[in-house]
Amino acid sequence: MMSCNFKFGGMKALLMMSCLLCLLDSGAAAQTSSGQLTITMSVQSSITLIFQNNPSVGTTGFCPLTNAGTNNVGLDFGTAAFPGSFHTSACVNYTHLTGAVYQVSSAFDVVVSKSNSSSPNYRLAAQISTPPPANVSWLLNNVTLTTAGFTTLDAADNYATPITKTLQVQVKNTVGPQPLLETITFLATAN
Amino acid sequence: MLKKYISIMRGAALAALLTCGASLPAQTTASGVINGSLNNTSGISIQFDSDPAGVTLGAAGTNAATANFGTVSAFGPLAGGVTRPSVTAANFTVRTIFDVQVISGGLNSTSYTLTANLAAASPTGMNYKVDAITLTTALQTIQVNGAYNTPIAHNLDLVILTAAPGAGGPAVNTPITTTINFTATAN
Repeated sequence: MMSCNFKFGGMKALLMMSCLLCLLDSGAAAQTSSGQLTITMSVQSSITLIFQNNPSVGTTGFCPLTNAGTNNVGLDFGTAAFPGSFHTSACVNYTHLTGAVYQVSSAFDVVVSKSNSSSPNYRLAAQISTPPPANVSWLLNNVTLTTAGFTTLDAADNYATPITKTLQVQVKNTVGPQPLLETITFLATAN
Repeated sequence: MLKKYISIMRGAALAALLTCGASLPAQTTASGVINGSLNNTSGISIQFDSDPAGVTLGAAGTNAATANFGTVSAFGPLAGGVTRPSVTAANFTVRTIFDVQVISGGLNSTSYTLTANLAAASPTGMNYKVDAITLTTALQTIQVNGAYNTPIAHNLDLVILTAAPGAGGPAVNTPITTTINFTATAN
């Protein structure tokens, strides 16, 4: 520590000030420590597909999806039969296609979004998981689905735009009573 | 005759001196001193630790660590320790958690202030946040009352624009490296 006991001449005040500043400076030196965190990553293009309720949900032909807004939803057509155009769901669209086949259908929206991609649009395809019983068909917008592979539904849909699809089940009146279950897989592929 | 006598006496005296020395007690102790000195100074040091909920840091426990997010995307899978807290039409955020530990010694200070800044400007389409504070090349205060000698978790967010490369978005399928400088200052 420096002594501040100066006693000579006009320089005393100046020297004392210098001493004080020196002491202040030494006392104010903050303790610091520094480090570096280096971050690495790589961005990858990606797209995603979700199912949404159509704005007309609740009206005839637009049943609500369960778990809407995700890529794994449910769509229940209720119970239906050929005779008497019987159907329990108020939202399905029930029709007799011929004298021996009835159809129930409901529409929903598919939304595909992209990120970090220059792809202008995407193609959409679908397939069913298991072969349906004889005389039962599952269709999307009148395109029959199979288990043999993905059936193209659209060649160039726009991203981030709801695409309305109608799921149809056609049942001949010879089909016995049974639950009809299918998992329909949608595949969007960036063009 | 006198000379012979003197010579004999000298010899006898020398012999007596030598034999007398042999009969003295042996020296069995020795002593010395070490003048030790230590200038104990005060100081702090910063280190980065892996957080159990985050990615495993490279060179964890040092002041020059690395955090590898791996491949990130808005909708695809992420590496362990990396989460995606938000996805919007404009951007998505990927997050990891890391710990900062500041060790002190010889200080009256009870806490520290943590600041951070980017070593260089953010790559195109990227923003970096620590505890929701957007980093720039200028110092930003992250924490004003950090406790010493304990790991303190911090969120490290990478906010990535969803735009395509060339349209404001980041380069894809290319490693992007950024260094964040951290400074701890004793309060």
